[in-house]
Amino acid sequence: MSEQVAPAPEDRQEEDRLLLSRAQAGDMAAFEALVEAHRDKVFGLALRMTRSEADAAEIAQDSFLSAYQHLKDFRGDAAFGSWVHRIAANHALMRLRHRRVVQAAENEIKGPEFTDWGSLTEYPERDWSRDAEEKALDAELGQAIQQSADRLPEGYREVFLLKDVEGLSYEQISELTGDSVPAIKSRLHRARLALREAIDQFYNQGNPQE
Amino acid sequence: MYTCKDSINLLLDFLDGELTPEDTQHLREHLQGCSPCVDFLRTYRATPGLCKRALAHKMPQEMSTKLTEFLRSKIKSAS
Repeated sequence: MSEQVAPAPEDRQEEDRLLLSRAQAGDMAAFEALVEAHRDKVFGLALRMTRSEADAAEIAQDSFLSAYQHLKDFRGDAAFGSWVHRIAANHALMRLRHRRVVQAAENEIKGPEFTDWGSLTEYPERDWSRDAEEKALDAELGQAIQQSADRLPEGYREVFLLKDVEGLSYEQISELTGDSVPAIKSRLHRARLALREAIDQFYNQGNPQE
Repeated sequence: MYTCKDSINLLLDFLDGELTPEDTQHLREHLQGCSPCVDFLRTYRATPGLCKRALAHKMPQEMSTKLTEFLRSKIKSAS
């Protein structure tokens, strides 16, 4: 787990545009500079999606190779980072589709509970949203989040990672997964509720979910 | 009058700015009288950012070196 110090997005994009045009003209050093700038994000996406370092390393290799092979087709109407990110997401999803994993059942997704008349059965003891924004991330909290994300059924985990962590739009996720936008939103909401619950337990009960 | 359950089910669309004006009005009315749901909304909104920070990863140095070597060999053999 680490936090990156990155240049401002507009500076990064401007630098990428310059590197891209040199790479498209055959400058290998410029392409390598693009790889260096985006490898952590691509690797992070692949590792989060597949939960395997070996798979993530291969996805990073395949994604950047694929980007290189299609460099000349890339018109630059999107940022290079977003483009290579989507290539990596596609590679990761394809790999997941070929895996047979034991899935958590949908009814195992934890979320808030309600009384028969629709009120919350347990009220949040305190609002931790400000702590979450201001404080350095607690390692145990990080672990609780990781465990909670790992427990989500695959389709829910994918949507949550692609939208909330990788920043793809609903339409881009729909294109990648073949699922409808309403289905994606419904899964994202339930995934967020489960993760919020895990964080709430950490802050209010001092320990992660069992 | 919307319940907590109704309101919480609308949070994603509310934060995306995609609720109908009627639903927005009903949700606001509920939130005005329900402080637990206000706390819930704040923590629901904070969840994605916190998860993003918790799930960040850097590529290990050794793997970065291998990636560069892999790309150089593939690109060299293709040209």
